[in-house]
Amino acid sequence: MSTSALTASAMSLSRNEAGKRFCHTEDAGALEELRAEVIGTLKSDQWERPWHIYDLDVMPPVDITHLVERGLMTPAFSEEAGEARGFAVYGNNQASLEINGLDHFNLIGFREGDQLESLWSLLSVLDDRLEAVVSYAFDPRWGYLTAYPGKAGTGLRAYATLHVPALMLTGKLAATALELVGHGLGIAPLWGGAGGVVQISNIARQTGPESDIVAEVENMSRAITEKERSVRKMLMREHPVQARDQIGRALGVAQHAWMMTFQEAVNLISAGQVGLEQGLVEAPGLAAESAFSLMSRLQPAHIVIDHMEVKTDCLDSPEIGEIRARVMREVFAGSSVR
Amino acid sequence: MFAEESPDWNLDLGGSADCELCGEEPATMHLLRVVDGTVSHTHLCAHCAEGMAEQTEGLALVLAVPSVLRRLSKKSSGDREATAGAASASREESFCGVCGTTLSDLRESGMVGCANCYGVFADHLEATVSRGAEPIEHLGKVPLRGPESDSLRHEMMRLERMLRELVAHERFEEAAGVRDRLADLGQRLDGAEA
Repeated sequence: MSTSALTASAMSLSRNEAGKRFCHTEDAGALEELRAEVIGTLKSDQWERPWHIYDLDVMPPVDITHLVERGLMTPAFSEEAGEARGFAVYGNNQASLEINGLDHFNLIGFREGDQLESLWSLLSVLDDRLEAVVSYAFDPRWGYLTAYPGKAGTGLRAYATLHVPALMLTGKLAATALELVGHGLGIAPLWGGAGGVVQISNIARQTGPESDIVAEVENMSRAITEKERSVRKMLMREHPVQARDQIGRALGVAQHAWMMTFQEAVNLISAGQVGLEQGLVEAPGLAAESAFSLMSRLQPAHIVIDHMEVKTDCLDSPEIGEIRARVMREVFAGSSVR
Repeated sequence: MFAEESPDWNLDLGGSADCELCGEEPATMHLLRVVDGTVSHTHLCAHCAEGMAEQTEGLALVLAVPSVLRRLSKKSSGDREATAGAASASREESFCGVCGTTLSDLRESGMVGCANCYGVFADHLEATVSRGAEPIEHLGKVPLRGPESDSLRHEMMRLERMLRELVAHERFEEAAGVRDRLADLGQRLDGAEA
């Protein structure tokens, strides 16, 4: 069981082909040519692991949402409707490649835990291999050129997902966000901020080196994690009854609800996880896997893919809420406040 | 997975460029508040954002709108360049011959259409994207297949930066070595371009 507030790492690397206009100004034919060339390369045997190529034109919406929920596709790319878009996943979901989205190429990596350095190592290698067929748009002063000049430079965006319910509850997250700005970082709520799950990333233009960007995001993540730990201790010390009450209520709802939205489930898991980490709760099912992993598999498309025999495309189907509540009852069975 | 980001982060700025509370300072923060399930967005300066976040009950998140990106917004860059007088009027006419993007397009969307735009709109981009920052020098990864001159230029920029730091710290002996190395690279660059 993870006791770290840093729950997941993600990364994206934007690149463009030097000989072509950026996607929003390029002809469909030229983009199609680029897609075909790169897809052909992905199918070759020069890679250590195979790429799985997806045909976005025939994919059901629930499958696309499932890719977004697993961190293999960005929400922006899933919602775009540009020309000649392509998508592929590397190996056993280690990385993925968006083709002809906002930029010609966007390499993506996502892993649970503190994994930014290893993600950068992998994406950099894939980036080098891709360059065997693509001549990247690059300027010695600006770095890698992108459709948004504010993002030109390394093209790297590093994300750390943090579980910080105590900072959010006490309103201390605002001060943290202000501090992040000074370091060129920003903070955004994941899943609408449910459960105090947020994501920090580099947003100001940074010219690198990439290892410095990764280190900056990691260092700030650790600092925020420490702050979260200290605020949790303070809450337990100064408001022990209220803390037990909130956590106990969460366990009660998790054990007895028959319908549940995703946001509610995330809030309940978050409270249970805090109770577990503070030693207030006995929850064998919750302790058996990371809270982030449990939250992830309760997302709508995960429920459809993992639990429903008839795969509905309606992600608002009431049945999804029923199944989610059932999974929660199973996970929280036998849980209690000490 | 990736958080859904505020539209402000993608330069599509519909909000005010000035703080909506004090109206005096530039709005560099985006305060997102969720109170009893109702979401509200406000653009504020850093000082007002801090004050308002502290007063907000319920969930309050301050999202940083990077000021360098905000400057690319239609409103802020339009306002600024309107005061630049005749120089602005002449730049208004510029457009990229490769992709057809005009300066107005760039101001409107914050996007350039191709690599060539970086040269065509260099003045505008330098003024907006890199304002307030150190001189733009890419210190990260470089393409493996780039022309030799790209690698040489990159290395020269790195050494120039090092030279400035050494001189600033009065480490003249080491600076002399770096200067010689720069001269060598300059000759190689001339050769590569020839």
